[in-house]
Amino acid sequence: MTDYLKGNYKVDAKIEEPQGEAPNSTDEFEKKALSRLGGSICFVSKKGFLWKGDGADGSGTKDR
Amino acid sequence: MDLGRRIASRLAAATAERITGAGLDNAQLNRPHIERSVLDLAPLAFGDGDRAVVVAAGPSLRRRDSIARLARSGFKGAIVAVDSALGACLRAGVLPHVVVTVDPHPERIVRWFGDPDLTAPPADDYFRRQEMDRTHAVDEVAANRKLVELVDRYGPRLRVAAATSAAPKVVERCRQSGMTLYWWNPMYDDYDRADSVSRRLHRDNGLPCLNGGGNVGTAAWVLTHAVLGKRRIGLIGMDFGYAPGTKYEQTQYYPELREMFGDRLGEAFIRIENPTTGETWLTDPAYYWFRDVFFEMSREADCETVNCTEGGILCGPEIKAVTLEEFVNG
Repeated sequence: MTDYLKGNYKVDAKIEEPQGEAPNSTDEFEKKALSRLGGSICFVSKKGFLWKGDGADGSGTKDR
Repeated sequence: MDLGRRIASRLAAATAERITGAGLDNAQLNRPHIERSVLDLAPLAFGDGDRAVVVAAGPSLRRRDSIARLARSGFKGAIVAVDSALGACLRAGVLPHVVVTVDPHPERIVRWFGDPDLTAPPADDYFRRQEMDRTHAVDEVAANRKLVELVDRYGPRLRVAAATSAAPKVVERCRQSGMTLYWWNPMYDDYDRADSVSRRLHRDNGLPCLNGGGNVGTAAWVLTHAVLGKRRIGLIGMDFGYAPGTKYEQTQYYPELREMFGDRLGEAFIRIENPTTGETWLTDPAYYWFRDVFFEMSREADCETVNCTEGGILCGPEIKAVTLEEFVNG
């Protein structure tokens, strides 16, 4: 990609990275935690327990 | 809301994001081995009547000697075990009617079936560090070798309800030991959506989708009532927490929590008093989420769920708690 996006000029303005929250903030902890923790299988709320598909024979039903 | 509970409340979406890719990859790799659907288990009518015991692998299993008590009780209903409880069941002479496995982790889960390729303690201390099955903490290699022998001996008599997300190494081990596999898809998302992953997967392999509730224990409970049709289900070893006195470093997600929280590690843990035993159990965000999900699902379930763990944090108005013997004889 860098082969196609080489700059051919310099800008005068100094670009500053937006100040993020401190690395030890609660939000930062949560963000990190959410990428590492969790279960081994999904949970889908309000969709019953077993889905057999939409079979035309009527077998494809959501069973509770 | 404290940090632990706040993280727990967001784990449904985080879990889907983290494991869906691995689960779908495994579904492709496992595709050539799919011969039976989990729905084929229903007509087999395991055990007498409509009762079942679901065996999970929490610390109460050992603390309350639950499997030996189950063996002594003369229980005639169905027994459904999670993969991590298989070794404890076989050592106690209990042969589950169905064993459930779901986790896509490429290396760890095969150990619950005995890994024939393990010749030295692995760098990963997952099994040594935790208290899920203490036999692994003492001499990991010897414990594994004994489990390989047990599983090889009983494999031809075991049926495994395997999620298509299961690690190929687990599938290979199950097949090699003579187990019969019955397959299902994890429900990844809302199948009513046009772009649903669950719908696409079902269309590809024709298997039903089970709502797994975040973990293999809840998935085993779902299978027991929604597929096997059992209407009174006792739970043992389903603690969703750590026994009083457990050190943080013995908990499942300790390395991740320590790395993430450092000095604030303790804030990630939650303490819950079990009203039956009066004990205060420790839990982490993941287990706390499992507990919340289980309560939500149990309100919808067409079965009575009885907590026979005599410990843990699965205590609330939705679920009655009795001793295992009261459940068996009640």
